[in-house]
Amino acid sequence: MSRRAAGLRAWLLQRISAVYLALFVVYYLLAGEAGGGYAAWRAWLAQPLPLLAMALFFIAVGIHAWVGMRDVIVDYVHHAGLRLLLLSIVGLVLLASLVWVFLALAEVSR
Amino acid sequence: MASMRFSIYRYDPDRDEKPYMKDYELTGLAPDMMLLDALLRIKAQDESLSFRRSCGEGVCGSDAVNINGRNGLACITPLGTLKEPVTVRPLPGLPVIRDLVVDMTPFYRQYRAVKPYLIVKDPVPEVEFRQSPAQRDRLDGLYECILCACCSTACPSFWWNPDKFLGPAALLQACRFLADSRDQAGEERLDALEDAYRLFRCHTIMNCVDACPKHLNPTEAIGRIKQMMTKQFI
Repeated sequence: MSRRAAGLRAWLLQRISAVYLALFVVYYLLAGEAGGGYAAWRAWLAQPLPLLAMALFFIAVGIHAWVGMRDVIVDYVHHAGLRLLLLSIVGLVLLASLVWVFLALAEVSR
Repeated sequence: MASMRFSIYRYDPDRDEKPYMKDYELTGLAPDMMLLDALLRIKAQDESLSFRRSCGEGVCGSDAVNINGRNGLACITPLGTLKEPVTVRPLPGLPVIRDLVVDMTPFYRQYRAVKPYLIVKDPVPEVEFRQSPAQRDRLDGLYECILCACCSTACPSFWWNPDKFLGPAALLQACRFLADSRDQAGEERLDALEDAYRLFRCHTIMNCVDACPKHLNPTEAIGRIKQMMTKQFI
């Protein structure tokens, strides 16, 4: 197998993150105190397992969105400069969102 | 159906500035006649019309065209199944040489790229290569491809990146040789498919499955290749 695995790795990450996203949604609906109001939800999220699952969820969202957006851009945008620009924008937005999510999660877990 | 209306894509680069659709009407057709029969009658009326055809039996794959928006073989498409006016265009995504005749070079280039032949490293046996019935069965659904290009030219991923994405037809053949018990280049074949384009531009749109006149399933073949690649990777 080649060293980079640019195609296979991206595809595998997309598939694995998709499975996790689906599982987490089921877990969240069943155990997530979604209907119990803000205080109950916050107490739920202060526990280590839900917090970890939630953090992993957002990492999976980031990976899944990155692979998907990259696929769309590689398909349709052939101009190298424009492609680099768009990929950078997507990457930065996703990274910034993740940092923001983790700041929020750190706040909630306190 | 006493008479039937046809709208045919016409383009002669020597004479026409741009392509146009020309209408024809034929009488004396029967529903079980094939579209190719109608095209031949139109050609008898208007001999300037160009299209490819050879066997007329759905075996050679020469007369693949876009029929009412769907790719198929004119020789095995009964007129009775078609809505009027029957719109016939060349296969999408390939350069038009004239009328319904397209330049298949980009398609064949991708076919050649997968090395569609057995690669054997051991000394070649003096008798025939032997295969068990089970080994032979693994080629079913793969070897029947007639390279008509209906699938690849129906594939959006092939439209956007025909030079980099191999397309369903070539990938079906890649799977055919990966699945062959006699082939000894499996690892190299998988390595050659591993980049962001050649295999992985496939987004399982499945237009190829919809278009294939031989009812083959290139999407499934691509899935099999991904499985083999994953096994090799982990």
